[in-house]
Amino acid sequence: METLIDFFTGTLGLGPTLALSLAYATAIGSLLGFITVYAMFAIWMERKVAAHIQQRFGPMEVGGWHGWAQSPADALKLMFKEDIIPSGANKVLFWIAPAIVFCGVLAGFIAIPFAAGVQIVDIDLGVFFIIAIASIEVIGVIMAGWSSNSKYSLFGAVREAAQVVSYELPSATALLAPILVVGSFKLGDFNTYQAEHGWIIFSNPFMWIALLVYFIASLAGCKRAPFDLPEAESELVSGFHTEYSGMRFSFFGLEEFVSMLLVSAITCTLFLGGYTLPFNFLDVANLAAPFHLLGVAVLIVKIFAVIFVQMWLRWTLPRMRVDQVMTMGYKYLLPWALFAVAGTAVWHVWMEG
Amino acid sequence: MEALEMYTVDDRSDVYTEELKLNLGPQHPSTHGVLRVELSMDGEIITASRCDIGYLHRCAEKIGENVTYLQYTPYTDRMDYLASMNNNLAWSLTVEKLLGVEAPERAQWLRMICAELNRIASHLIAFGTYGIDIGANTPFFYAFRERESIMALLERPSGARMLYNYIQPGGLRRDVDENWVTDVLAFCDDFEKRWAEYNTLLSNNRIFIGRTANIGVIPQDVVYACGATGPVMRGSGIKWDLRRDVPYLKPYEEVDFDVPVGEGTHGTLGDCWDRYWVRMREMMESIRIIRQGCAALPGGEVMEKVMKKMYKTPLTPEAGEAYMRCENPRGELGFYVVAEGGTSPIRCRARAPSFCNLSLLDSLLPGTMIADAVAIIGSLDIVLGEVDR
Repeated sequence: METLIDFFTGTLGLGPTLALSLAYATAIGSLLGFITVYAMFAIWMERKVAAHIQQRFGPMEVGGWHGWAQSPADALKLMFKEDIIPSGANKVLFWIAPAIVFCGVLAGFIAIPFAAGVQIVDIDLGVFFIIAIASIEVIGVIMAGWSSNSKYSLFGAVREAAQVVSYELPSATALLAPILVVGSFKLGDFNTYQAEHGWIIFSNPFMWIALLVYFIASLAGCKRAPFDLPEAESELVSGFHTEYSGMRFSFFGLEEFVSMLLVSAITCTLFLGGYTLPFNFLDVANLAAPFHLLGVAVLIVKIFAVIFVQMWLRWTLPRMRVDQVMTMGYKYLLPWALFAVAGTAVWHVWMEG
Repeated sequence: MEALEMYTVDDRSDVYTEELKLNLGPQHPSTHGVLRVELSMDGEIITASRCDIGYLHRCAEKIGENVTYLQYTPYTDRMDYLASMNNNLAWSLTVEKLLGVEAPERAQWLRMICAELNRIASHLIAFGTYGIDIGANTPFFYAFRERESIMALLERPSGARMLYNYIQPGGLRRDVDENWVTDVLAFCDDFEKRWAEYNTLLSNNRIFIGRTANIGVIPQDVVYACGATGPVMRGSGIKWDLRRDVPYLKPYEEVDFDVPVGEGTHGTLGDCWDRYWVRMREMMESIRIIRQGCAALPGGEVMEKVMKKMYKTPLTPEAGEAYMRCENPRGELGFYVVAEGGTSPIRCRARAPSFCNLSLLDSLLPGTMIADAVAIIGSLDIVLGEVDR
């Protein structure tokens, strides 16, 4: 961020306010561009992963090589589709719901460090900020479900509310364990710590429990199988976005993939070394510019490894029932998350003590 | 209902609640066709349900009274369109009984092999779609892979992939080619390995068991009261199979096979998992039957000589009536025919297993959740083409 501001003030000789605005606009613009490209790639990847798990090839025609242009073609198609609003729908809520859903998740990315210095704002309460801002998505989903004037949508929205709110407890609790180790909520600190001391996942055995709990809870937070109850195709048709079409519909699809990216980025940053390589090979965090951008590649590779596991699970496991989801969250994940936090605390007092 | 007490909150005096009517179908991903179920919901819990059928009614029985006996065979294909061979078989046996003829020995053995192959194909659909109902999409594609092999095998003698019109009164339309039996046996070898994969993927999955065990329990007296047959009945532990108890083809008396019944492995006897598991094991029994059938397949004609001559003019059985029932993948399919000497029957009636099995649904749904409703409908394995006819 500072580099960008310096570039605008120093090299181009602009005033400080203008430079600041331009720097943020550039940063957020490139973030949006990255996310759009990522989402298209992730949708294509999901289709390919699903296809190969299911003994198929998936898209093979559009664009030539393994159907790489399928996602842009679909996006183009969705943009030209009619935006149908059901009669009896609450139009205002129906219109803004996809935007709220999308913005909530998107806002989380401003605190994610992609590489040393490649971060829009290193917020002091970064982890807390991401958890809080990503929960706004639930409000959008409830708005979508309620305003659609469809019973299936309403069922989906209520399920989403119950599920996401319940699973925020174990996921937030599990994140306390790495926070205890580093002693900071600032996401940038996690990378510097891990460059120095190795990946947090290896810092103590309880961290594995925390990672597993967070991973499962984050699946529920992203509405991924086996927790895809709000969508539940075979039960609720499409859940809360049953009545949506065209571009508004695609925003919900996009949101799912973007929130997958967000939780995977958190998983990688907090547990799996962020943008550092194993054993701090090459010392990515302290490389001279522009080689520090290697960190972006490292983080993206790790993120896609986590996303692949999410996709793999989705195409393997059946869906749970709503009461089983609640049982899982409150009776199993939450106690295990608390155990991991307590274990981490005791371990570090005892080891360093 | 025990389940209802488990879920319901007692005191709601301070909250205003309203019953929600939910229309499940006729266009819904998991009603297996055009079934409509009107549900009264208390949150996620179903308090009452009412089945509405008839969206696929095509007057199949009335058509039977206006076409000749031979012309009606393709119409039976379209009743339970996932098990056309078995439908053809039941109709052919009924007409043969009316005429007092019997198919040649080779035709009988081939009929058995084809019917069992079609049973596997039908159960594969049941397995695959049940996976989708529970939320697992992958088993469906696995099932379709093996079903494709079966369809390719059945296409070779019949020329059709789904609606075969192959088994006809008097025997079979034509004989199989010389490599067919070898290929069927090769399929059997392959299928046994695949079957183990299905169980790893779905049958023994913890989430799947959690979703299906103890759900939709059908007690034995309800089975008798509703006239449920097939895997729905056997899932409740009743050992009754027409192939074993009333063999309608001679080969069934000679081959050796078991009748799998539900055992309450993961919960109560007669739950969704038991019905599912009965179907899975029936596929392996069918493989056993096919293997023995291929080994013992005799030579000779596949069409009765008398019938061949009769085919030149429309069949005109003498006045009389006949009823024959067969063990279809979904239960007992029966055809009742009354003839008065003309070229077509004056009454043609089908006793459809899906229809009788579906009559259980309204008593199973109250007290379950909407996700359970989908699991229960899937475990009954109905085909709406047969329910509505």
